[in-house]
Amino acid sequence: MFPKSQDNLAMNNRLAPTPPSTAQDTVETVVGPSVHVEGDFASEGNILVKGTVSGNVTTSRLLTVEEGAQIFANIKAGDAHISGHIKGNLRVSDRLELMETAQVLGDISCKVLVVSAGALIQGKVNMNGISIEDPKDTKSEGKRIFKTKGKTARAQELAEEEEA
Amino acid sequence: MYVYLYDNFLRQKKFENTIKSTETRLTDFGIAGKIIRLQNFTNAEHIIEDEIRKGAKTIVVVGNDVTFGHVLSRAAACKVVFGFIPVGMGNTIAEVLGIPEGVAACDVLSRRRKVKLDVGWVNNRYFISQLHVFPHDIFIEYDERFSVSSRNKKMELVVCNLQPFVWNAGRNKDIIVHPQDGKLEAFLRPMAGRGLFRDKYEDPSIFPFEEMVVSSRTPFLLEADGKQSKETKITIRLAKKKIEMIVGKGRRF
Repeated sequence: MFPKSQDNLAMNNRLAPTPPSTAQDTVETVVGPSVHVEGDFASEGNILVKGTVSGNVTTSRLLTVEEGAQIFANIKAGDAHISGHIKGNLRVSDRLELMETAQVLGDISCKVLVVSAGALIQGKVNMNGISIEDPKDTKSEGKRIFKTKGKTARAQELAEEEEA
Repeated sequence: MYVYLYDNFLRQKKFENTIKSTETRLTDFGIAGKIIRLQNFTNAEHIIEDEIRKGAKTIVVVGNDVTFGHVLSRAAACKVVFGFIPVGMGNTIAEVLGIPEGVAACDVLSRRRKVKLDVGWVNNRYFISQLHVFPHDIFIEYDERFSVSSRNKKMELVVCNLQPFVWNAGRNKDIIVHPQDGKLEAFLRPMAGRGLFRDKYEDPSIFPFEEMVVSSRTPFLLEADGKQSKETKITIRLAKKKIEMIVGKGRRF
């Protein structure tokens, strides 16, 4: 009369194992919507956060923080795709994408940064690979070199006089 | 020497033909051996250890997922090669191992393609396929590094070892977790509420781990490879490359 309940997670899996070829994506770690993780959280694979994480998050691959998700700690990742809220420093070794709903309170360090309109950042942004030199810095460096050169020349002269 | 462990249900008349033709095929390959019939309360570990002492080199389980779990939950520590001939209903493990049902399994057995498999360890026994903690107010600690809790207190936990876990993540996108990757995968599903006919659950969380402690103030129901028990605290660990198994070419890992 009633349809047989198929809500049992273990049974579902046992009854209908789908071949791997149908899968489009592989995810190693998923933090569900109402799940709260406390402590240092590290993974070698991709991480998908939909809930709350209080503690450092480390991965060498892709970190995805979905809308509504919150992370209260520092993050280290290979690539990151942020749509949720982050309170802590964000160190991404390659590409960081901040979506419209993203909010970051902390410093950002990455190689490639993509920011969508509406994303909020409060903190320093540091990107490696910049080749523009600050003119003020070069002038002061030049002076310093000249001064030191002058000093060493005078010192050499004095030493020569003493020897004579 | 080969030893065949037959499940008790294979005495039924409907399996008579399959068993006869399987035995003939095994004799053709020259790998026929001693047959032992398992009873419900037989401790497979003692039988296998006894047979190893008598010179057995390969133990072949004949039956379904329940038989496979029943034998290997105790006998995983035995230093012997295991084989499997799936017969009857409820054979999903065989599919993962790439072993066809019935007589065709003899061909796989004769080829002896051996692979070392990881097994799970829970409170002094092993589990091969899956461990299931039914919805309960549980607290979980992973690898002594982080803990997991849920806003809606009740959670269901499934730990997968051999079977790949697939679920639809929306937008026609399936997410798959491969077994036998040197880690166990825990699928955690918090209960969102009670429906009219069934409970509602949220999307599962996945955590790969090597050691996990599940505890609760009140006893929770646990099912490992089809065997149920009630516990208040369990430690789940990964025993890497624990069993040597004959598998098929079409295995899923």
